[in-house]
Amino acid sequence: MGKKRYVIIGNGAAAIRAAETLRALDESGCITMVSREQGPAYSRCMLPAFLAGEKNEDDLRIRAGDFYEKHGIKTLFGSRAVDVDAGRRCVVLEGGSRVDYDSLLIATGSSTAFPAIKGLEGPGLFGLRDLSDARKILDVAGRGRRAVILGAGLVGLEAAVALARRGMEVTVVEKMPHLLPRQLDPAAAEILRRDLDGVGLRMIMGTGVQEAAAPESSGAGAVWDLLLDNGEHLRAEMVIAATGIRPNVDPVLGTGMRINRGITVDGRMRTSIPEIYAAGDVAETRDVITGVRMLTPTWLHASLQGMIAAWNMAGRPRLYPEPVGIQNVVQLHRVPVLALGVSNPQDASCEVIAIHRPAENLYRKLVLKDGALVGAILAGDIRMAGILAALMRRKADVSGFKDLILSGDFHCGYLARTG
Amino acid sequence: MCRPGKLEGVDVKAVMVYLDRCYGCLTCSLACAAAHSASGTITGAMRERVPGRILVEAAGKQPVPILCRHCDDAPCVNACMIGAMQQDPVTGLVSNEGHTQACAGCWMCIMACPYGAIVQAPRGERMALKCDGCRGRETPACVMACPNGALAYVEVDDFAGERRLKLAFCLAEDMTRDSRAYGG
Ligand SMILES: Cc1cc2nc3c(=O)[nH]c(=O)nc-3n(C[C@H](O)[C@H](O)[C@H](O)COP(=O)(O)OP(=O)(O)OC[C@H]3O[C@@H](n4cnc5c(N)ncnc54)[C@H](O)[C@@H]3O)c2cc1C
Repeated sequence: MGKKRYVIIGNGAAAIRAAETLRALDESGCITMVSREQGPAYSRCMLPAFLAGEKNEDDLRIRAGDFYEKHGIKTLFGSRAVDVDAGRRCVVLEGGSRVDYDSLLIATGSSTAFPAIKGLEGPGLFGLRDLSDARKILDVAGRGRRAVILGAGLVGLEAAVALARRGMEVTVVEKMPHLLPRQLDPAAAEILRRDLDGVGLRMIMGTGVQEAAAPESSGAGAVWDLLLDNGEHLRAEMVIAATGIRPNVDPVLGTGMRINRGITVDGRMRTSIPEIYAAGDVAETRDVITGVRMLTPTWLHASLQGMIAAWNMAGRPRLYPEPVGIQNVVQLHRVPVLALGVSNPQDASCEVIAIHRPAENLYRKLVLKDGALVGAILAGDIRMAGILAALMRRKADVSGFKDLILSGDFHCGYLARTG
Repeated sequence: MCRPGKLEGVDVKAVMVYLDRCYGCLTCSLACAAAHSASGTITGAMRERVPGRILVEAAGKQPVPILCRHCDDAPCVNACMIGAMQQDPVTGLVSNEGHTQACAGCWMCIMACPYGAIVQAPRGERMALKCDGCRGRETPACVMACPNGALAYVEVDDFAGERRLKLAFCLAEDMTRDSRAYGG
């Protein structure tokens, strides 16, 4: 057999990890990366720091400048994949050219899902996913003074803090009653909210946007008018939607591949079509805690999935080690907050134990089911987070030492055995 | 198990912990702090408030040195969203220092490390601290300093044999490859 042709659609977390792993496993294979974006791989997670003016574009790169050359990777950047012809094993690019593959990885990530709000369309409305979004936001930020952020999730809050650091007047509007509603509970969210007092954001919780009036033009002085459910009007030069994401499945829609919310993959990152793999925000995997298929749109999962996909693409079978599906950590100002697994259980059979010392910005909550950890929230002190995640993943029975874990004095030394 | 990029004929060494010889004297941790301080001395490190990157924690009556295992396919490397945490393909050392990308202090590695071996830098600095294997030293400072031989710097291949005999620590074994274990 000749050299194997690997094609990767994407140039983000999953794609880069896959490419470098492929090269390590197969010295002579041909690796081609296709990306709709120009330029080397960068960290989307650092876009808020770029918006805040703390990092420049070069600082966002996740690999050294000679990465592609050093790994012998052919790059087709600035080209969008529009279709995959699984029968003839080729990727179709915008403009009609084709790239043949023996093994293909879909690592196209996700896009902003704009909320369906009447009138929410026009100049000065942005998502924050790509460097190009961030550049456009900065452009308007140079002219405007006010920004409204829709959604107090991770991306929304990071964008809000970044723009506030630039000196903008920022208002965050969130339908749910507290910050980071998907990750935190009211107690942890309150610690975070007080931490953010030091940044100077206005936060309107428990209210949605009823209707939006876009500015007439895009030039200087163009102002949005948002009518909230509570009757208040918010006026701002820019609106950033951060209410959710949508996996970029478009290039494979015509293939008949099994797609649920994302592309469903098995434990080896294989899609339902032979020799096509998927990894990252675009893929749907099984959550080890709940057993349910879910999107895991975080960096950690994307790179791990990219790495595992590469082993399998290179003909070296390897299973996804199924890390806990929800793993988020963020420090927006002074207090780090972190959420793992099922942090807000609906299931009455779960046991919840917590330590709450708001004056010290400390909160530690553990969620147990049948003696095993299934979820946790940590605020203020995140030291042992990785051990908690490992215990959760292993479904270890922690009933004998749950109080020790809750106290914060637990460490992996307790698990060391001799003999 | 092979590490992609691992060179044939290059000895990869790792720190082995013999729990039964550890008395919890903390000398390793102090020596580590000294090695990572500007002054290079223990008193200097205390003055500069440099933390040790090897922790010694009590598990009941048993002190346990906790340090980075420099796992292959380390969870911290996959978690690092800026590419600062990398594994050296030759030495196998995992570190977030000395690369093009600077650590941003996002704490993703802390969330990912199943050993709890990565800590936040003191005084609110946005930087994750972990064992860097004392790059540039023949033998890591902690191993040199241990008065009881509880820490040994051994070749990984010997180590694997040893591990089979005295397997101790298994929290992350199926997640990483070749994670260096504890022995008793
Ligand atoms: C502002 C922000 C902050 C974040 N903060 C964190 C954080 O703190 N922690 C965390 O874990 N995660 C964070 N995330 C999420 C994290 O960035 C993603 O989970 C991760 O980037 C997903 O990696 P991926 O490889 O799946 O996709 P991406 O990194 O999105 O890469 C997708 C790639 O595919 C390309 N592409 C897409 N469609 C096509 C097409 N049709 N043809 C060709 N190329 C295409 C894109 O150009 C891109 O190169 C954040 C995200 C954002 C936007």
